This record gives sequence, C-alpha cells and structure tokens, in this order.
Amino acid sequence: MNTPHAKALQKFARRINLLLAARAVLRISTIWLFVWGAVVLSFRFFNARGWIQVAFISLALLPFAWIFAGWRIWHQPPSFQKVRAAYDRWNACGGLIMAGETADMTGWQDHLPAAAIPPIRWNNGKAFLQLTVSAAFAATAVLIPDRLAHPGGHRHLEIGSIVDQLQAEIKTLAQEKIIPDQQAEETRKQLSELQKDSAGLSPDKTWEALDQIKEADQTEARQATEEALAKTAALAQAGTMAEAMDHAADAGMSPETATQAAQNLASMINDAKLDDGLMNGSIPPELLANLDKLNKQQLQKLMAAMNFTKGKLGNTIGKLANLKLIDADALSACQNAGQCNNPDALAAYLSQCSNGCSLAECQMLGRGGLSRGGPGAPMTWSDGTSEQDQEFKEHALPPANHLSDAQLVGISKTAPKLNDAAVADTPGALAAANAGGGSAHAQSILPEHRQAVQNYFKREN
Amino acid sequence: MPESNAVLKPEELLPATDLTRKTLEQLDRILLGRTELHRLVLIGILARGHVLLEGLPGLGKTALVRTVGHILKLDFKRVQFTPDLMPGDVLGSHILQETSGGKRELIFQPGPVFTNILLADEINRASPKTQSAMLETMQENSVTLLGTTRALPQPFFVLASQNPIELEGTYPLPEAQLDRFLFRLLFDNVDADVLDRIISERRRGELPAPTWQMERSELEMLFQTMSRIYLPRPVSRYIARLVSATHPGNAEATEPVNRYVSYGASPRAAIAIAEAARAQALVSGRPSVGFEDVKFVTSSVLNHRLILNYQARFDRMTTSKLVSELLASMDETGLKLPGDMELAKA
Repeated sequence: MNTPHAKALQKFARRINLLLAARAVLRISTIWLFVWGAVVLSFRFFNARGWIQVAFISLALLPFAWIFAGWRIWHQPPSFQKVRAAYDRWNACGGLIMAGETADMTGWQDHLPAAAIPPIRWNNGKAFLQLTVSAAFAATAVLIPDRLAHPGGHRHLEIGSIVDQLQAEIKTLAQEKIIPDQQAEETRKQLSELQKDSAGLSPDKTWEALDQIKEADQTEARQATEEALAKTAALAQAGTMAEAMDHAADAGMSPETATQAAQNLASMINDAKLDDGLMNGSIPPELLANLDKLNKQQLQKLMAAMNFTKGKLGNTIGKLANLKLIDADALSACQNAGQCNNPDALAAYLSQCSNGCSLAECQMLGRGGLSRGGPGAPMTWSDGTSEQDQEFKEHALPPANHLSDAQLVGISKTAPKLNDAAVADTPGALAAANAGGGSAHAQSILPEHRQAVQNYFKREN
Repeated sequence: MPESNAVLKPEELLPATDLTRKTLEQLDRILLGRTELHRLVLIGILARGHVLLEGLPGLGKTALVRTVGHILKLDFKRVQFTPDLMPGDVLGSHILQETSGGKRELIFQPGPVFTNILLADEINRASPKTQSAMLETMQENSVTLLGTTRALPQPFFVLASQNPIELEGTYPLPEAQLDRFLFRLLFDNVDADVLDRIISERRRGELPAPTWQMERSELEMLFQTMSRIYLPRPVSRYIARLVSATHPGNAEATEPVNRYVSYGASPRAAIAIAEAARAQALVSGRPSVGFEDVKFVTSSVLNHRLILNYQARFDRMTTSKLVSELLASMDETGLKLPGDMELAKA
C-alpha cells in the first residue's frame, strides 16, 4: 500500500532502526575505548614491549565493531508489528493501522487522522558524556608519561655499591691483563646499562645479570689465581735452582753438572710458561732464548727478573684477594708457593755431584723432600703410644679362706640336713608376719632351697 | 482473505454505530450527568455481560436499568433481594394446578429470572443459597428444575445493584461469584449543576419517556456487528500482559501490585476486557480495537477481580488505584525502546 500512513510507518520504522544503530555504535565505541585504554594502560604498566603496535592495531579494529553493531541492529530490528502498534497508538488510529497488517483498510483511510511520524526522543547526553569520558581515558592511557604509567618500573634499584664493586673488579682484572680490554669495556657498558634500566618492579632480571657478571669475574680471577699459583711455584723452583747454580758455580760445580742444571733450569722456566698469560714478557726474551748458556751475570739478571715476576704475581693475587674475588686460602697458597725451598742444600748437592745428577733429585733437594701425602711420601715412625691409663692394673685376689677350710662330707641328692635345728627353725624377718595381715607376704620355702636361705642369713659380713 | 479476518467496512459499521449513538443519546437525555456510566452499561450489554452497579440509595441505579429496558424494548423485571428470598422466588417453582379435565398436575411457574433484563436489587441482602442459584443462572443462561432445563430468553442481562453501606445483615458476594459480572460500576454522586437540572427539569423525579427505541432486529444486528470487530494481535497481547501483571511476582507487575495484591485477575477477566474493548470500539465507530479502548474498560473489569491483602486495607489502597498505576506504567505496544529513548507524547 502506498498510503500516507504506510509511508509514514516505513519512515518511522527506519528512524527507529537508525537511532538504535547509532545508539549501539555509541555504546560499543564507549566500551571499546574504555577497554582499549585499560589494556594500553596495563601494557604500559607492565612495560610490555610493542604496546604501541598492539594499541593502534586494536584501535583500527573499532570501525569493524561499528559495522558489526550496525549490522546487528539492522538485521535484528524491533518487531515491525510492535512498531506498527506504536505508530497506531501515537497517531490515535484506534487500531486501524494495526488492523491494516492483516486486512484491507483502504475504506477507512478517510477516517484516519493525518499521517505523522512519531518523534523519537533520545536522551543521548549521558551516552555522549560516557563516550567523552571513555575517549579521554583512552587518550590519557596513550599520552600519560612513562614515569606515571609505569611508576614502579622507573624506581631504580639500589645497586650503586654493587656496580661500583664490579667496576673495581673489572678494572683490576683489566689492569692485571686477566681479561682483555675489549671484554672489560663491554662489561662496563653492560653494567652502566643495568644501572640505568634497573626497575623496581622487576628486580630479578637485574639481580640475575649482576650475578652473572660477578660469577664471570670470579671465574676469571680463579683461573688467574690457579695460573699464578702454578707460575709462582715454577718460578720459585726455577729461582731456587738458579740461586743454587749461582752458589755452586762459586763452589766449583763441574761443567757437566752445570750443563745439566742449566737444562733443568730451562725446563723449569719453560714449565712456568712465562711467554703466555699472566706476566707475559716479564722475563727478557734474550735470557729465555739462552737459558742453557747463561753466564753468571745473566743468571743473576734472570734471578732478579724471576723475583720481580713472582712479586708481581703476588701483588696481582693480593689485589684479587682484596676484591674478594678469591678466598684467603688461595692467597696463602700463592704466598707460600715455593717458600720451603732450600737453595743452600741444592747448591751443596750440585757442587758435590760430579756426574749424572737427575732432575728429580735436584727438585727433591731443592724442595726439601716430600713432607706430606702422596704415594711417594716417606713413612716415618715415632715413639710408641703411651699406654698409661689405657691398661688394667693386675690385682691379686684375696685367698679363699672359707673354701680352703671346707671339708667334703659327701654328695647327696636331697637337701643337706643340719644338726643345728635352732638355726633352721628361725624364721628371720618373717617371724612376726601374719598371713593376710599385710605385714609381709609369707611364702613357704621349698626344702631344696631352705639350706641356701639359711646360709644366706648366717653368712659373715 | 478469510471471513474471520475481514474487517468491517465503513458502510457496514455505520448503522451499528448510529444505533449505539442513539441509545446513548436517549440514556443521556433521560438520566442526567452519567455519560460515561451509560456508555459502560451499553458496552456491558453489547459484550453480553452482567453488570454489578454499586452505589448509595437514590443515585438512579434502578432508573438506569429501567430506562435501558425501555430503550432496548426488552422485557424488564426487578427482584428486590431480601434475606428470606428463596431460590424458587427467583427461578420459579412448580405449582399443583387442576386442569380443565379435572386432573391435577405440577405446572411450572417461571420466576422473574425469565426475562431479558433483570434488575437484582440489593443482591447482597439475599442468602448465599439464593445468590448462588441466581449466579448459576447468570452463567448458564438456563434454569434447571426437577430435571427439566429451561433456557432463558435471549438476550439475558442481569444488572445487579448493591449498597455499599448498611452492610449489617448482608451477605457480601464471594469473589468467585463477583467474577461472573463483566463490570462493577460505581455510582458517584452527581455535581450541583446536574442536581440543579434534575430538580428543575424532573418534577418529582419522574423520568421522561424515550423518544426512540431500538427494535429487536436492530439489537440482533448490533450483536452481529460486535462479533466482527477486529482485535489486533498487539492489543490482545496488551490485554494478556495487563492481566498477567495483576499477579504479584509477575515480571511486569508494579510494586503496588506486588505489595497489595493477594490474587490477580483470572483468564475470564482477560476475556471480559477483550469483549468489552470490542464493544467500546463499536460504540466509538471503529472496526478494530485500539489500546485506548482497552484502557477505557480495564478499570471496570478488574476492580472487582483483584483480591487485595490486609496491608492494602491499612494503607487505604483501592483496586482502582492499583489498576490506574498499572495502566500508567505499562507500555502498551511492547516496543521496549532502550531506557534513554522514548516516543514523544502525542
């Protein structure tokens, strides 16, 4: 039908749908912006990476939400029957428009009032206010400064002293050439970044990184200490040998022995590996090249260089110990390395040894022999253990007088009979006891025990 | 289009509307100052319902019923209900009579109920037994005595009256029997202008004779037209929601309903509203029922069908108030626009 009321009714239905769709879009925008803002804020609060990309991608999905809301309203509009009823009521058509749904009402057109589209009042102030608040919240979530969005994260950890300690360690390790300069520089950079980025909200990562650096420093220091220990010990041996050679040369050491001792000395210095690692280059290369042909002056120069190197190694280990990169045991072990050597004894040996001195013997003499542990250690015996207070003293038992006086009168299967009836009839402690009177428990004594009991009470104290 | 869905054409409806208009004009001319009441009584008759008139003595209840009977040219009888009135006095009884042949036989003597319009005056004064017999007749439209069922003349309407004062020695109608009345109409006092007209125009209160009377065939035509008044689906849905909302705990029940109503209206009330709304549409000259028609008749249909609790008595809450609040709160169309959207007032 193309009547004015039919047209007005269609327009009315469309207007309702449009307004409902607009309302749905407004509501979904409000909810979307609020949720979006909350998500962005939480991303920023937890310092999630890539939050900007996530935020703007999700914001770009908003038009799709609008389309969905509009589509839903457009495809699920209010019942047209109800819209028709509302139109009928507003126009006071008395059911004629409603009847037009199922019947031909053409004849009643003249009786109907003029067609008018019922105005729909949408009190959208509150909805727009909510949208504005929601949008403001979303904008705030994006624009808020980091220090406010992530308050806990920018509260730096108090790691200044730890970082200073680690910096000092790295400086020492680099100075002592324990770690290369490049590695030291990288570690320093890493430390400064850690200090800058350390967050109060997630301290675990910072602590973990600091622990790793500390562990790396300690590992380097431990390796350096082991190397220093080995080198110090080797240098001490070599120094003892050199000093003994120097003394033995004055005491008339044979040339063969001198040659062999020089070879031993070269072997010891080579064992120290002074051309690699710690104190690399501390011994002049011309001396190292001619270790088996050193004259007295060169030998003294070598001894001085070795002493200097030993001292430097001790200083290095001391620094590491001061920084607590190594423990006190390692420090004392390093300090004591080679301290027991006895160059005088070795010099005497070398001067007496005319031919065929073995390196092992030299080493044993120079070091004073094995003192503890190991299968090669000598077995020493001291005085026997005192047995005072650990042995029982012998005591002679008193003579058995009573038994010696005893006489065997015979062997009987029954109890022996005594002639002294008075003794046997005396009840002793039970004399005054009444059975059941509570004074004592009267018990009959069997015949075979009677004599034993009598003997007990007759014994001499 | 099936006949049941065929809506009356203007030329089909117009004669019936003319008849109702003339009837109301006659009623308004004879009985002054009760336009709406006359309309409701006519609606009750067109809906083939019984009407309970309630008001103080002297307000014109009997005059109204008598006038309706005269205008509609229907047989009219009046029974003054008293405590000693027996069912036989209303329904009729068998009397032993001697026939012309000298034989004696029981002859049924019809009671006053065998009429078209019966005025049951002060119905609450009769004993429950008599009330019950009367109300059963109203429901069945027939009288059964000694195994013989006799149909009442059609149309048959009962216009009962009851006096809201002097309740001592009365038997108030139970709710189940009240439910059989389509309307319960309250007679209010008329204002001074109407009283002035009554005094000046009606000598000794005598009613003028009607200048027009409806023929029996015209009344039949009215009933036929009534049956073709269209009840749109949204309107029937509205009626159903209204009646459901009178039950406490219903989703659309108002707070006062939940608070004051013990029992809501029955399905018979929904049928009564629908029929009365049809009649109202006919009287208004429309072939279909609108929401306004429903609202016009709802209060009269429901005001004797809601059973209120004692709290309502304490708070002086009346059924009319409850129904008015219910009508005001409920959206007729069920469109259910969101809370922040509404149709502007017409």
